[in-house]
Amino acid sequence: MASRVDIAAIHRRLAFPAIPKHLALSAALIAVLTLVPLAAGSYHIYLIELALLNVIVAIGLNLLTGNCGQISLCHASFMAIGAYTTALLMTRAGLSYLVALPVGAAAAALLGAGLGFPARRLSGLYLALVTLGFLEIVQIAIEESPDLTGGIRGLSVPRPHILGFHLKSDASVYYLVLAITVAAVTVGANLQRSRFGRAFDAIRQSSFAAQSLGIPPGQIKLLAFSVAAGFAGLAGGLFTIVVGFIDPTEFGISASLRHITFIVVGGLGSVVGSILGAVALTALPELLRGAKEYSDLVYGAILLGTLLFMPRGLKGLWDTLAKLDWRRVKIWP
Amino acid sequence: MSWQIALQLAFSGLSVGSIYALVALALVIPFKASGVLNFAQGEMATLGAYIGLALATNFGLPFLVMVPLTLLVAAGFGVLMERLVVRPIIAAPEFTVVIATFAVGVIIKSAVRVQWQDNLFTLDAPYVGAPIALGPVRLNPAYLVIIAATLSVVGLLTLFFANTKFGKAMRAVAIDQNAARLMGIGVGSVFMSAWALAAAIGALAGLLLAPIIGITPEIGHLILKGLVAAVIGGFTSLGGAVAGGLLLGLLETYAGAFFGATFKNIVPFCILIAILLYKPHGLFGTAAVKRV
Repeated sequence: MASRVDIAAIHRRLAFPAIPKHLALSAALIAVLTLVPLAAGSYHIYLIELALLNVIVAIGLNLLTGNCGQISLCHASFMAIGAYTTALLMTRAGLSYLVALPVGAAAAALLGAGLGFPARRLSGLYLALVTLGFLEIVQIAIEESPDLTGGIRGLSVPRPHILGFHLKSDASVYYLVLAITVAAVTVGANLQRSRFGRAFDAIRQSSFAAQSLGIPPGQIKLLAFSVAAGFAGLAGGLFTIVVGFIDPTEFGISASLRHITFIVVGGLGSVVGSILGAVALTALPELLRGAKEYSDLVYGAILLGTLLFMPRGLKGLWDTLAKLDWRRVKIWP
Repeated sequence: MSWQIALQLAFSGLSVGSIYALVALALVIPFKASGVLNFAQGEMATLGAYIGLALATNFGLPFLVMVPLTLLVAAGFGVLMERLVVRPIIAAPEFTVVIATFAVGVIIKSAVRVQWQDNLFTLDAPYVGAPIALGPVRLNPAYLVIIAATLSVVGLLTLFFANTKFGKAMRAVAIDQNAARLMGIGVGSVFMSAWALAAAIGALAGLLLAPIIGITPEIGHLILKGLVAAVIGGFTSLGGAVAGGLLLGLLETYAGAFFGATFKNIVPFCILIAILLYKPHGLFGTAAVKRV
């Protein structure tokens, strides 16, 4: 079949910065989110903040796993590194949050790049094992150095001052988180469509084919790891002020699996999927509040069910429904 | 350090290592047969311990009846898992398979938590008693049983794989699935029995450990040590897995004695990363060559 190439469409797709397909929808969404603090109570604001953090983590992880095809079971550790670096720089070194937050994200990105070195040689299963080992090492390191990190008792972090303005109210923290999330989503979406994003996809599909096209798989994997880790570190830094308290149990293997559940349920390799998954699964524990002990069980079942029956996730479902010709659908036989 | 202490440490290292060896075996057997690493294997040990607990307390079964029954139930569970979860996605990308087995582990662990909460249960075994003094070394009978059980499992597996028709079929499938299928071997039933066997071995590890450390939902954490042992052994060799387990047990025990508990906890994972980086096929494994 001869295919016509629509050059204009390709240019539109690759235009920089991204013009979202549903510009109006995105704008409306941001507008609604801006109005939230006027209507919602502090608990609901807190929940939305958590959802936004999870969106940041999911977008980073989805670039690494969904696009580049690398397994990471230690994303919670990157979040921990961002959170602890930010918190310690603020409380011990007395740095401003505006400095501590990016430094925390950068520290996580640096360690991500460090972990990317094994990834250049290992793939699939063996990478899963290395990241699992790294998760345990970070976990033990935090627990066993109580003088610095507070150990298993945790570390509380006061609400910071930014440029002389005290982020005392819930709304002020909320707007900071919202602004950073919108920025992170934009960066993530643009990165996915850039030369690097396409290189990620090429490496996932075939590392050898990518190499023969002049893409250096080692360097690109390194980049994917450090970007994903940086996003997680940023989310960790925001987590410190949203929750005000960090302890190592927040950043264990179950948190890592939760992050993976976000992207699997949302849809691998899709920014929209990351957002859908993170928001849906942050809301889920809320719906299960009456049966808290079942929450892990439900998470596990959703993850397994999605992998078995809906491998393309919510995004795949969305696409299928959008393409469906409703006039031909027989609801009733 | 006097030689008596060194000997005592060697004994406890070997008994801890035996447990690691069992878990590593339970990881390597289905991996060799079906190419899938079961990240829920730690929860098989949890499941074994709790099934044993339920049989012993609810039905009042004596220990020697309870153990084989538990292994049987666990094997049944292994079959179910292979048929319902692993078989449908065996051709999917590796990520899917890894995460699916992980999800099964989470489901088992949280189901156990819903049923039994975080309580610590004890399981009585007839062999638990005062240590036996053998010269300067004091041998805890529970540890002796662990070592003996591991040795007999390894012995039985060796006989099974070398001499029985089905054992040979399993080895054939591990070498080349297509060739085995062409020779008339039922690859599906080999997969199923490999998973049943592994689940039973995992449950045995849980049962052996239960009288020593008690039963909690966290027993499944054992899988990390089993993975390290399997990586040391190279993931493709049963002998390597056992040697890796024993080696890890010894290393951990001596590291703990020399440098303290923190170091003891971190050592296995440093070994894991170092081996995967510099000798990815372990000390006893062989590199797989893949045509592109």
